[in-house]
Amino acid sequence: MPFKYRLEILAIIAVFAFCILFLYTTSIMTDAEFAGSDTLGSTQIAEMTGKAEEEFQPLIWQWAPPSGEIESGLFALQAAIGGILVGWVFGYWKGQKKRTP
Amino acid sequence: MHIMEGFLPLYWAVVWWIVALPCLIFGIYQLKKVLEADREALPLLGVTGGFIFILSSLKLPSVTGSCSHPTGTGLSAVCFGPWITSVVCAIVLLFQALFLAHGGLSVLGANIVSMGIIGPLAGYIVYRALRDTRVNMYLTVFLACALADLFTYFTTSLELALAYPAEVGGIVSSFVLFMGIFAVTQVPLAIVEGVVLALVFKYIVALKPDILLRLKVFPEEKIRAARSEA
Repeated sequence: MPFKYRLEILAIIAVFAFCILFLYTTSIMTDAEFAGSDTLGSTQIAEMTGKAEEEFQPLIWQWAPPSGEIESGLFALQAAIGGILVGWVFGYWKGQKKRTP
Repeated sequence: MHIMEGFLPLYWAVVWWIVALPCLIFGIYQLKKVLEADREALPLLGVTGGFIFILSSLKLPSVTGSCSHPTGTGLSAVCFGPWITSVVCAIVLLFQALFLAHGGLSVLGANIVSMGIIGPLAGYIVYRALRDTRVNMYLTVFLACALADLFTYFTTSLELALAYPAEVGGIVSSFVLFMGIFAVTQVPLAIVEGVVLALVFKYIVALKPDILLRLKVFPEEKIRAARSEA
């Protein structure tokens, strides 16, 4: 199947299917909280050991973002760092290719 | 995939640090060797590392009604192998431990083992097994990336199961429990991640095939065939 954009089409279908799946999930699971699986794992541990989650104190002191807003901002910063790296290198390669055909 | 700070007993935190450290040291050694041999490998490391930064910050909703994030480590494992990947992962995980309270310093070893070592290693094994066969190059990358993602969460489940065996059924039944939380959520994410990273790999092949040839990522015929097609 020598079609130029088949991977692009596949990627769009995959992302689209993922969104449909998400909409379907929210429609049948109206009480879903969409909490992080990290948090659910911790809750599970608390349940198994019979200890309250607050009893699990950090072994090494840890700074935590004071609110969800600040946390999401820092996550965006992390993604931005990655995005800058990727865009920079692809541009660098593109320029290199132009100069040496 | 993070184990939260404080949720791993000291004993296990130390065990996973001891497992992670030699791999990291070997990765740093390998990284130095690769970069000394070929400075043009650095931009490729930037791209593969950049995607680890981007993808591991995206928390996506899944069929289980909870959220999880992809890892993005497969591409780096394919291009550089699992040990160098573990170094990049260690940087990302350190960032998240210090600034986001996702994971922590004592559990960093365990998180490096799952996201930085076992996951990429699984992807790398699949990639090596398929590299010199007739299997399509992008399919190989897809499988490596999707499996690197899934095995990361298998490992997290195993780490937690070892530390918290169930009273009835022991490690096995608690492994199944944690797999229900981590792995099921992860399946759709792993598939999307695999497809997206295969697409990214296509662009690397189109823009900079010579670095892939010099690092012997794929045999020359395969890369040439892919380029003549595009």
